[in-house]
Amino acid sequence: MITPYGETGQNPPMQRDLRLVEVGRRYGLRGPWVLRGIHLTLTPGTLTRIEGDNGSGKSTLLRLVARLDAPTEGRVTGRPRTAYVPERFPSALPFTASGYLTHLGTIHGLSRKTAASAAQSWLERFGAAAYATTPMSRLSKGSSQKVAVAQALLADPELLVLDEAWTGLDAAARDELERAVAERTAAGGAVVFVDHDPRRLAGAPDATYTVVDGGLKLRTDSGSPPPTGPLTRVTVQGPPGAQLPPDAVRTVTSAQEITPGVHRLAVPASHSDVLLRALLTARPPWHVVSVEPDGTTPLDPGSRP
Amino acid sequence: MTALLRYQADLLLRSQRWLPPVILYAAFLAIGVQSGQPVLDSLGYAAAGLLPVAAWLVRICVTGEPDAARVCVAAARGPARTHLACLLTALLASAALGVVATLVVTLVSDPASNGHRIHVPPLRAGAAGLLAALACALLGSAVGALTNRPVLRSTGRAVPAMLLAALLSVVLAGSPAQAAVSGLVTGSQSGRVPVPLLPLAGAGLVTAAAFAAACALTARRSP
Repeated sequence: MITPYGETGQNPPMQRDLRLVEVGRRYGLRGPWVLRGIHLTLTPGTLTRIEGDNGSGKSTLLRLVARLDAPTEGRVTGRPRTAYVPERFPSALPFTASGYLTHLGTIHGLSRKTAASAAQSWLERFGAAAYATTPMSRLSKGSSQKVAVAQALLADPELLVLDEAWTGLDAAARDELERAVAERTAAGGAVVFVDHDPRRLAGAPDATYTVVDGGLKLRTDSGSPPPTGPLTRVTVQGPPGAQLPPDAVRTVTSAQEITPGVHRLAVPASHSDVLLRALLTARPPWHVVSVEPDGTTPLDPGSRP
Repeated sequence: MTALLRYQADLLLRSQRWLPPVILYAAFLAIGVQSGQPVLDSLGYAAAGLLPVAAWLVRICVTGEPDAARVCVAAARGPARTHLACLLTALLASAALGVVATLVVTLVSDPASNGHRIHVPPLRAGAAGLLAALACALLGSAVGALTNRPVLRSTGRAVPAMLLAALLSVVLAGSPAQAAVSGLVTGSQSGRVPVPLLPLAGAGLVTAAAFAAACALTARRSP
């Protein structure tokens, strides 16, 4: 991640970093420690995955990261604009989907008008535009989860915390959420997520931590190979002698120059839009020769409309 | 904060959970206040009845939102501020109720002391009643804040504690609400309109402390 350190001395990235220092958390005065001695730094533009068994304290960690809970010991510093998606979102709210999202948009700091239009466009992205005026109490479980995801993405948060946010979403919405996460990190937001599916955003996280025995371990993948998800192969042609733009280099999993000036890139399928955007908006822009799903892990043709 | 208050107020209004306490309060007034009764006495009665209603409205606002919806808001604005918005919404609702009740009671009552001996100026009586009602709304909100989530989380403990605390705040000597209400009642006997500024200030201080304590506790005691 490139951060504007030093030169001007203004807007130090420290402000937007979220740091957990020697953090411990237990419930009640005499309860057992759920987490202890946690050190974690989340920098802008990074994607972090948290793993762990059921009941290991993943959700407690995410609550600390989202600053919903204060740590029992240690401290949490930094206050990025945060959005949180819970695993199960209740529909027992006396609003319509768009009414609720407009409220949440203004709470996230948008004006009413911007919030309403952002609500509409995020509902459209997740295929829930038809439910915009439906009372929340009549939404299905999956549709309410879409509303929960939309409320978090409305205002481009600096820190997005996803606690099994994919649970209950249909295939198209799951892919869309992966792409939205890719966009968020590309735009400089930090994203933390927990998900039971090991292929979720496979190959994309900058760091993967495992919660074990109340502590946090950085997974280094020395033993087992990293899980691979669907890849997209992109063939691009650059201006003579040009290097790949750094934003593009960050997202790709492999790159080779097949003929002078023509590069063949492999990128996690969730990040293909981000890669293409980086290439097409580079100065001078790159030419996209072809985009195709990776042959070894074919995309399910029925998964997207 | 405006966005939070607007959201909480909308939630309260649309949930319709405000109906039972408001209807009960209206019934309480209908039973105890009749037109032609001495104004200060009736105003004291109306103010005293507002206290448990204020506590109840806090309970409605604090427990009305499902947990998962609350954390979405709390992530954006911080748990303390989110909780403060709940409490303030309830306080504003009970203050509004107090204003309406004071207005109605002042209009229908007889502007005189007990036994209709001394004339009591209705405007000054109404102002005194309003101050007392606000003191009761404040103290009731404080009771609600200290006897609900995050302080007491189980319904079995929260509701009896809330009702008991509300009752005690009305009757115990030394409570600002009791001072305000008894000021009106004795004023009705003597014919002199009290100015319950001291009870109002006391209730304000107690409520500020109660709200601060409840908000500070939110992040420590959840979920």
